This record gives sequence, structure tokens and C-alpha cells, in this order.
Amino acid sequence: MNIYQPYLMSIKEITDETVDTRTFRLEFKDPAVAEKFTFNAGQFGEYSVFGEGESTFCIASPSTRKGYIECSFKASGKVTRALRRLSVGDTLGFRGPYGNNFPLDKMKGHSMLFIAGGIGLAPVRSVIWTCLDQRDEFKNITIVYGARSVGDLVYKRELEEWGKRSDINLCLSVDPGGETPDWKGKIARIPTAVEESGVVAADTFAVICGPPVMIKFTLPVLTKLGFPADHIYTTLENRMKCGLGKCGRCNIGPTYVCKDGPVFTAAEIRALPQEF
Amino acid sequence: MTHRFLSQADLKALIAELVAAKTRVIAPVRAKDDPEQLDYLPIQSLEEATFGARIPRRSLKEFFLPTTEILLSYHQTKEGVTIKEVPTEHPPQVLFSATPCDAAGLDVVDKVMNWDYKDELWNGRRKAATIVSFLCSSMDATCFCTAVGLGPDSSRGSDVLLVPVEGGYLATILTEKGEALLQGKGKAEVPAAVQAAADAAQSEARKKVEANLATIPADFSEWLAKNFDHPLWKTISLRCHGCGACASICPTCHCFDIVDEHNSSSDGVRRRNWDSCQTSKFTLHASGHNPRGSQNERFRQRVEHKFSIYPTKFGDILCTGCGRCARVCPGGMDLPTLIGELMTLAKAEPAESKL
Repeated sequence: MNIYQPYLMSIKEITDETVDTRTFRLEFKDPAVAEKFTFNAGQFGEYSVFGEGESTFCIASPSTRKGYIECSFKASGKVTRALRRLSVGDTLGFRGPYGNNFPLDKMKGHSMLFIAGGIGLAPVRSVIWTCLDQRDEFKNITIVYGARSVGDLVYKRELEEWGKRSDINLCLSVDPGGETPDWKGKIARIPTAVEESGVVAADTFAVICGPPVMIKFTLPVLTKLGFPADHIYTTLENRMKCGLGKCGRCNIGPTYVCKDGPVFTAAEIRALPQEF
Repeated sequence: MTHRFLSQADLKALIAELVAAKTRVIAPVRAKDDPEQLDYLPIQSLEEATFGARIPRRSLKEFFLPTTEILLSYHQTKEGVTIKEVPTEHPPQVLFSATPCDAAGLDVVDKVMNWDYKDELWNGRRKAATIVSFLCSSMDATCFCTAVGLGPDSSRGSDVLLVPVEGGYLATILTEKGEALLQGKGKAEVPAAVQAAADAAQSEARKKVEANLATIPADFSEWLAKNFDHPLWKTISLRCHGCGACASICPTCHCFDIVDEHNSSSDGVRRRNWDSCQTSKFTLHASGHNPRGSQNERFRQRVEHKFSIYPTKFGDILCTGCGRCARVCPGGMDLPTLIGELMTLAKAEPAESKL
């Protein structure tokens, strides 16, 4: 099997997250592959619809659960629109897992602050569940999640589940104007929601994913709260084709997002040329 | 490293023997649309080839990374999908009279194709090919191979290097593949006069190129990395059209796209096609955001990749100094001149970081 050959996977379950965002649960067709496949939270893959092409997204399910992977995507280009046309039982291609991952071993024994905006919850969700599946290994878990409007929040069933758990401090928020009459969460942008979350920086790792503008305005808040730049982890999402460090388009200076990333600390990102 | 002397008749017989054995033989041939130009094409006999007249229009790259190649074919039914893999083993081929810059280009690109994941499609073709390069004597004012550590007599990436001498060629055998190709061919004894004539030809050829551009210093890569935000980038690429012609004729540009093409509702192929960092869609996100939204940024990427990023990652300049990019550019962008200007700037503002 050469490096461009995808595994075949079948769609076991489809969940509509928002009007344009959908989650697939995928299982490997070949039991031998299913048996030996492993990945770490933060890694990504190339998902393909035959005849339409490949598209890059993270694996949104936790690395602690075997036998399947999940991905969430927004119909925004040729391949994602084609993915949307697929039904349960259909076949798609998957290459991966690629890239580095969140350093769970380093994070064990500490508190965790998860921050996500919109579909940025997908990679964070993989880490959240990976932590929750070994809850004893972590101290406090705080999740600050928001979107432009209530309708743009993804993984709603899980948000409800996390909200009920006493071992998670969940803070949901929507941008001003995005609330519904029955909205019980905060009405604030993410940086404000983080600042008001009451999280303590000492002994805590932060994981943040979302739109670049959200990350840009949240990083100073984390700094103000006392998070050192090497305790803040995020992902970069550049356009990719191969995922293997060959096709030449995801680099930021000498850093290849597909190989050196997609997970970076805020300190590492600060040292990169400003071209992303 | 051993030497052999090949007469014109020996070389002719060697090519005839290879062709008879159904080995594909590639050599520079007068282009059909422009007899002034050369193209690397399959030949049946030595007479069809033109050795050493000038640098072929296109590099050898496409014999290893084709302009477009099938990565897989698929057949789709209601029950599922079946994938047919492409072969990664290829029949042998011999590339005669490669310019030393083109041969070296393959060796440079080998690194990115193998730094972690191995690209078996590239490697399969590399394994099956024997490269016989030819002392370059057709350099012009845009050549700068000596500036990037190569030269018109460079043996890098070659299995055999031929130097024309009176009555034939001095063949320097550099690898086992070269040994296998020339075993029993010509004469093993090389007269001292022939060796001396070859040495003189090589040194004369080097001098011609060395006059074009000074050797790029080792710390130039670091200077480029530190000067990512130098104001110069805002003006340096004003003449660039963003057409990507430079990348297509470059022996070391290897960026590609992966696309699917369906032939019917059930069948199709996934292809790898050449692509270029100079085009505006290359890094465009689905959201509409583009990290390299202007041509200045795209041209900077080309220069940084070749002279800073690749040297940092792989220890090699991603350029063989062939000068083709300057020859084909419709906007008159002249890489050797620009590099010369950047080197002057680097000397004037040595450790200054603009970041």
C-alpha cells in the first residue's frame, strides 16, 4: 500500500450538528485495519469521496475509544458538499492519522481549561472525551464553549451531558444577538466568557481552538489570567493536500503544519513568521 | 569511481543494445516545434540525440514526477468501493546526456520524498532509472549552478558523467548502476592525455558559470529566515504574474495537487498534478482566508522555500542554478539577479532581524 492509498470506511451514523455542520461516525471496512488502528487526540486525516476528492479535518472522537472514528465538517467546498450527500452505509476513503497531538501525558495530573468557538469544538472534543474517559488522571476540568448563535453550537447532546456532570465546570456562551428567548447560558464573546469563567491558571493547561479572530483576542486574556505561553495549546488549520510533508502548501516558514503540527503551543506560534 | 573511454561508435552501440533490449532511452532531441530548442524525449538511436548543445527546455523532473499521474483508480457500486493501486515498480530506463543540473535536481528532491513518509511512486521511478549526465558547455548568462554548490561538471545525482574528448568520451562511473551500464563497454585504460583534456574542459566550463553569480554563503539561509518581513518583499515581485511557469520548468519544484476525476458515475481516478505556490488558490482556505493572499507573499515563499526552508530542513538549496525560471518568465523576473541583490543586502545588513 503506497502512502496515497486510503483505507475504506463506512458511515455508521450521521448527526446533524447545525444547519450546515454534520458529524459522521466511521468504521473501517477491513477488520484487520480496525484492529490495529490507533491515533492520538489532535491528529487529523484526509477524508475522501471517490470522484470528488480529499479534504482535511481532525479526528473529532477520543483516542480512548477503539473501533471507530468521528469527524465533523461544514459543507463549504466541493468535497465537504459531496460528503454531505452521503448516507449511512456509504463508503468513503480515509488516510491518516497524521500530524502531532496534544501532549496528554504531560497534561495528566493537572487541571484543564478547554476553550472552543463554533466548529472549533471538534478537535477539542477529542481531547475532552479522552480526559473524561480517564477522569481520575486530571484535576479540575473547565470548558468554555461559544458560537455566534445558539443554532451554531455543535455537539448539543454532549453539551447537555457535560452540563449535568458535577466534575465539569461548563460555561456556554453565544455572541450578543445570537441568543434565543430560552437561552440560559452567557451572552458574551469568548474572551469575556473566559475572563469571567473563574478559572485559575496555576497548575492548568489550556486548549483553545476556533476562528483565528477568537484565538487572537483570547490569548491576551489567558496571559492576563496568568497562563504561561507554553501551557496554552491550539491547532493551526492550513490548506493541505498530502498530509505527509510533500505537497508543499501548509508550511509557515520552515514549520510544516501537517508534520510539525497541527498542535502548537502559543509560545511556538509566537515564534513563527506571521503568515497564517 | 572508475573511468572508461568510450568512442562515438561505442556509445552508438550501447544505445542500440539498450533499445534492442526494450529499455527506454531518453536523450535531448531537437524540439519539433522549435529546432533551436531541445526536449528530453525517447530515442531509438544515437543519431536522433543532440548532446551538449544547450539546456533542454524542460527538466528531467517529469520522468519521475509526471505532470499528471494516477494515484489510484476506483470502481463504485451500491455495495461499496474497490480501489486499484498503481504500480510502484517500473521497467528500467536510461537517461542520456542529462545536464548535471537536472541530475542533481533529482538527488535534491529525493530528500523531501523520503524525509519521513516514503513516496514509493517517486522512488520506484528513481530506482528504475540510470542517469548518464554530460559535461555542460552550453551555459549562458542566466546559469548559476556554481553559486548553489554544483557546477557544469557536477556528478551529483548521476550514475555516469560523460566528458567529450577527442575521438569520444571520458566516462566517470559513479555508482553500481553506472558500473552495470558500462560493464565491458569501451576501454578501461584511459590515456593520461585524455584524462588531462577532460580535466581542462571541466575547469574551463566551471569558470564560465562562476562569472555569473558568486557562491551563495552558508548563512544566507539564516538571513532570509530572519528577514521574512523585510520591506524588500513588498517590491521584489511586482513583475510576477503568478503564472507558475517558473515552477513547472524547475528541476526541483515538486509541489502538487491531488484531485479526483470521474469517468462515469461508477468509475474514476485520483490524480496527482503539478501545482505551484505562485498561484493564488494554492493556499486558499475553504473559509476564503488566504495566508498568502498577495503575490509578494507567494514570491517570498518561493525564495524562502528554495534558499532558507529547504536548506534548514534538508541541508540542501532547493535550486540547481539551471536558470530556466529566468528564461521563461513572462514578467522578466530574474532569479539569479534577485538572489545577487539579496546577497548584497545580506552583506550590508548582516545580523539585522526584521521580525
